[in-house]
Amino acid sequence: MKKIISLFLGMITLSMLLLSGCGEAPKAESTDPASAPDIKAIKDRGTLKIGVKLDVPKFGFKNPTTGQVEGMEIDLSKALAKKILGDENKIDVQGVTAKTRGPLLDNGEVDLVIATFTITDERKQSYNFSDPYFTDGVGLLVKKSSGIQSLQDLNGKKIGVAQSATSKKAIQDAADKAGIKISFLEFGTYPEIKAALDSGRVDCFSVDGAILFGYLDDSTVILNDRYDPQKYGVASKKSNVALAKIVNDTINEMKQSGELDKLIQKWGLK
Amino acid sequence: MLRDWPVFAEGFGMTILLSALALLLALALGVFFGVLGAAEGKKVRLCSRIYVEFIQNTPLVIQIFFLFNGLPHLGIMLPVFTVGVLGVGVYHGAYVAEAIRAGIQAVPRGQLESATSQGMSYWSAMQHVVLPQAKRIALPTLTNQAVSLIKNTSVLAMVAGGDLMYHADSWSSNNLYYGPAYVVTGLLYLSLCMPLARYARRLERKLEVSL
Repeated sequence: MKKIISLFLGMITLSMLLLSGCGEAPKAESTDPASAPDIKAIKDRGTLKIGVKLDVPKFGFKNPTTGQVEGMEIDLSKALAKKILGDENKIDVQGVTAKTRGPLLDNGEVDLVIATFTITDERKQSYNFSDPYFTDGVGLLVKKSSGIQSLQDLNGKKIGVAQSATSKKAIQDAADKAGIKISFLEFGTYPEIKAALDSGRVDCFSVDGAILFGYLDDSTVILNDRYDPQKYGVASKKSNVALAKIVNDTINEMKQSGELDKLIQKWGLK
Repeated sequence: MLRDWPVFAEGFGMTILLSALALLLALALGVFFGVLGAAEGKKVRLCSRIYVEFIQNTPLVIQIFFLFNGLPHLGIMLPVFTVGVLGVGVYHGAYVAEAIRAGIQAVPRGQLESATSQGMSYWSAMQHVVLPQAKRIALPTLTNQAVSLIKNTSVLAMVAGGDLMYHADSWSSNNLYYGPAYVVTGLLYLSLCMPLARYARRLERKLEVSL
C-alpha cells in the first residue's frame, strides 16, 4: 500500500514539473499580431473555429437538401480564414444559439462567433466586437389567423423571445412608447418559440427580422415594422485582443473594397 | 446580482410552491397505484403497470413539452403552473407507486393472511396491518423521490415556467453574467435538497432499513 502511495505521489510531482514547464507564457509580448498567442494557437491548429447560426436563412443556414451550412456569415468566416490561415476552406463551423454563443466563446470551443450577434454596450464589456458588418431590426411574427396588424394590436398579449437576445428590450421600449402593455415568455431556442406560437402559448414571436424569415410558413406573417436597429458584429473572447484586431481590420478592408456589399447583394439582403 | 435578488426570490418561491403541490399529487397517485400494483386482481395490477411503465420510460422533458405545446392543439390550454404540477407530479407519482408497491410486497404475506383470518376485510387489513409496515420500508425511498422531484421542477425553465431555473436563465442571459447566477442557483437548490437528503439518511438509520 505504502509503495503504491509513494509511487502515486512521485508521479504527481513529476507531472507537476512537466506541466509547469509547458505552462509558461511567452514573456515578451510582441507587437506583431501574427505571433500573438491567440493567433498562434489558431495557426498551430490549422483551422479557425467559428460559431454560426444554423437556422437563419441567408446568414447561417443548414441547407436541408445539401446538408451544407451556407449564408453570408459563412462567406465572411471564409474570408477571415483566408486572411488568418491563407485558405478559405480551413474553417470549422459549429452551430450556436443566442444562449450558447457567449459561453462557447468563453470556454474556447470557438475562436469567433459570427451569428447575427448584435453589438450592445453591455456585451462589449464581456466580449470584443468588430465594427458592424450588417444592420437589421427586431421584427414581429404573428399567426395570420390572429388578425394582428401592428404593435398596437399586441396590447395585453404575450410575446415569445429568445433568452440572451436583444429583442425583449427593443420591443419593451417600443411598447412603452406606444403606451401598450405586453408580457414576455423567454425560451432557450427559436424552434421552441415557434412551437409556442403554433400552440397559442404566445401570440407573437419576436426576434431580428432576418431570423424570422427562417420560421415563416403558410400560417404566419411577418409585420413590416422593425424596431431598434440591430448591428451585427463578429465577437471574440475578451482576452484575444490580437485576433479581434485582425478580424476588425479584415471587415473594414472588405467594407472599403466593396467586397462586403457584394456579399450582401449575393445573398439578397437589402 | 445581489441588487436583483427579488428575481431569484420569486423563482425560489415558485419552485418551492410547485414542488410542494407536485409532491402532494405524486404521493396521492403513488399510494393509489402502489396499492393497486400489489393487489390480487390481474386487471387491476395491469392498470398500475401501464401507468408506471409508460411514465417511467419516457423522458420528463417530453411529457412537459406535450402538456405545454401538444395539448393546446387539442384545444386544452393549461396554465404553465398547472403544467408543472401535473407533469412533475404524474412523473414522480409513477416512481412513488413503485416504492409503495415494493414496500407492500416486502411485508410478509402471512401478515395479510392472519389479519383476514381475524375477520378483517382486505382494505382494513391493508390499512391497519400491511400499510403501516410497508410505510417503514418505503419512507427513505420516498424522501429521495422528493429530492429528485425538487430538482426536476427545473425542466420548467424550458417552457417559461417562472421557476428558479427559468429566472436564473433569464437573468443571466440578459446580463451575460451567467457564472455567478448559476452558482447561486445551484446553492439555492442545494439548500432545499440537502436537508431532505440528510433527513432520509436519518430515517433509514432510525428505521433500521439500512446501517
